[in-house]
Amino acid sequence: MGYEPKLVCFSCKFGWGYLKDPNALREEAALLTPVECSGRLDALHLLKAFKEGADGILILACEEGHCHFQEGNFRTLKMLYLLRDVLQAHGIDGERVRIEFSRDPEGRTILDRITQMKASLSGLGPLDRALL
Amino acid sequence: MWNTVSKGAAAVEPAVKQYLPPCQEQCPINEDIQRTNVLISLLPEDAEKAAPGILQIGDYLYEKNPLFPVCGYVCGLCELECNYHAKGGAIKRRLLKRFISDTYIPYLETRDEWGLIKHKENVAIVGGGPAGLMAGYDLSLRGYRVTVFEASGRLGGALWLIPRYRLPERVLTSTLEAMVRMVGMDVKYDTRIGQGKWTLDRLQNEGYKAVFIAQGTPTPRTLTFDRDPVEGQDLSGVMYGHTFLYEVSHGNIRPDYFKGKKVLVIGGGNVAFDVARTARRLGGETTVVALECEDKSSRDGIPADVEEIRGAWEEGIRIVYSRGVQRIIGEGERMKQIVCPRCLQVYDDHGFHPVFDLADTVALDGDVLIVTVGQGPDWTALRSEGLVDAQGRLAVDSLTLQSRNKDWVFVGGDLRKIGFMVEAMHDGLAAAESIERHLQGRDMTEGRKRLFEVQDIPLRRHYLSEPEVIWIPPEKRMHFQLFERGFTLREAIEEARRCLACGPCIACKACVSIGLRESLNPVEVLTDRCCGCGICVSACFYSAIQLKDVEMGRISVTDAFKCKSCGMCVAACPSGARMLKDDPLEGLLQTTYGRLS
Repeated sequence: MGYEPKLVCFSCKFGWGYLKDPNALREEAALLTPVECSGRLDALHLLKAFKEGADGILILACEEGHCHFQEGNFRTLKMLYLLRDVLQAHGIDGERVRIEFSRDPEGRTILDRITQMKASLSGLGPLDRALL
Repeated sequence: MWNTVSKGAAAVEPAVKQYLPPCQEQCPINEDIQRTNVLISLLPEDAEKAAPGILQIGDYLYEKNPLFPVCGYVCGLCELECNYHAKGGAIKRRLLKRFISDTYIPYLETRDEWGLIKHKENVAIVGGGPAGLMAGYDLSLRGYRVTVFEASGRLGGALWLIPRYRLPERVLTSTLEAMVRMVGMDVKYDTRIGQGKWTLDRLQNEGYKAVFIAQGTPTPRTLTFDRDPVEGQDLSGVMYGHTFLYEVSHGNIRPDYFKGKKVLVIGGGNVAFDVARTARRLGGETTVVALECEDKSSRDGIPADVEEIRGAWEEGIRIVYSRGVQRIIGEGERMKQIVCPRCLQVYDDHGFHPVFDLADTVALDGDVLIVTVGQGPDWTALRSEGLVDAQGRLAVDSLTLQSRNKDWVFVGGDLRKIGFMVEAMHDGLAAAESIERHLQGRDMTEGRKRLFEVQDIPLRRHYLSEPEVIWIPPEKRMHFQLFERGFTLREAIEEARRCLACGPCIACKACVSIGLRESLNPVEVLTDRCCGCGICVSACFYSAIQLKDVEMGRISVTDAFKCKSCGMCVAACPSGARMLKDDPLEGLLQTTYGRLS
């Protein structure tokens, strides 16, 4: 014990926590990064997060059919399929990147989701950055 | 040497083109539909927490459209053009607005007046219906001292003809009362301009610098056959739809007025169906006789809305299509029967020109005949005030609504052209603008014709189907309470979320208004990096990107009007040639990365 994975969480502003003060959210979860749409994220953003020290990345996207910008959530999913394969090829467990499609305007479940993913990542141990 | 002019036809049009979502383009007053839909979609699901948000949306709508609580019950013009129409059903904007209205009305009733300072000229509004009140409201906001001259004892005009089962009386009275109170308009009731001593000249002598005439169409059209009036319209039992609806709305007709009676309603428009459904609720065994045929897609198709026809049919109203009325047969002083020949054609290429087959007639028995074949203005008053041309038509400019005969008189609303409530409201706003231009000696037309272009439906794989609208079953709705159930908060949020928000962000900015985004960051293309590969073109959901050939090769360009600043193209660009200007994400990412180490 003692090891706590560093988890960067990207959340879509149109589906997650928009009824809550963004600063309060960031205080609760320091590595929470709200974005206008999950579709804005490209693989480089995620790889950069890994390089800077993240052990895992959680993307909170909107439910299918409910993206404010039509299908940004689906784009991200497609990008993740590819990215996971690339990560696996480098010996990095693809489970270190996850996406969840749901909605939580008041951001009540964001902390729980982060905690849950952290728990499931703790078995993997810290990411060996030399693999990147 | 020539002289340059910059006015009139030579004027440069400011903002020649503007993209709007199709609903807003369709709405005669261009209500901010998308913005308020998006705001509804972002409401909390807890009713108590949502209430302030609903009122904020209401306040926003109210500023531009003080009649919106009524529109929420009766107008759904925008839904006809919704991009979703062909993909699972138009967004139920009317019900969304009704949802806002239901929370807003009690608040509106207690809302403090604005205490506007009126330092400009006196303006008279003739007629207190939607057109007149909108003009008065807008002019009051602009600082004019407005007096509304209303012929009857209450404001609202033709809105009172809408049956209570579609528009609750409280919604109407509260909306009208607030409209006058908020901006401080004076109202003179029981004053009919154009009759007796109340002439336009008298208004001018009393210091009114401009007049807007919106007296509506108080005169029911009589029944004709082959251009001649059908005889027997003076028989007892024959009445006109407008008069009937007016009397019902005034509470002058008791609930079982038509019990045990056969009621025949002549006409195929929405008003005829209002009359029929009202008569049915008063106990009458009701039949609608329409000149038009059942097939709405044909030129001779029945003009009433599908929902009206469906509602009537469900309520047990018989509809007889393609029949005219040739004769009204009486028994003594009372009407007894009508003779209805088959109508072979209603319109020809030149307009209304019914043709009948007199060999094919049916006789329909009835105790009551309600003629609802249209209505017209009070021509006597218009003629005596000198507002018609040599051909006897209204002499008015259709853009500025200025009378061609008297430059300080403006004419609009149903009186000018019969239409929907919101079309009359548009006339009111147009007249207000014209009156200000006239009084300030400005050009009457410069910059007024705006071209709106409509955004197409965005591409996506999944479209959601429309919610079911719940009507009280026919056997339980034979009364004057609402028959359509409104949205709950949760349903309203769900339906608003279905809106594709297909219009451009610059015509919406809902997210910016609530601080969800700081600004709409425009896309920048680094031309030295762009190789013109076109990946961004397919990445954009809004067809905002095109490839363009320039001197150094092919590059991509973004139409700033269509761009939503969503960043899809930025994420898709393989060469990092695209970015959002002053992108807040960059700073946020730096902070996050900083917290990692």
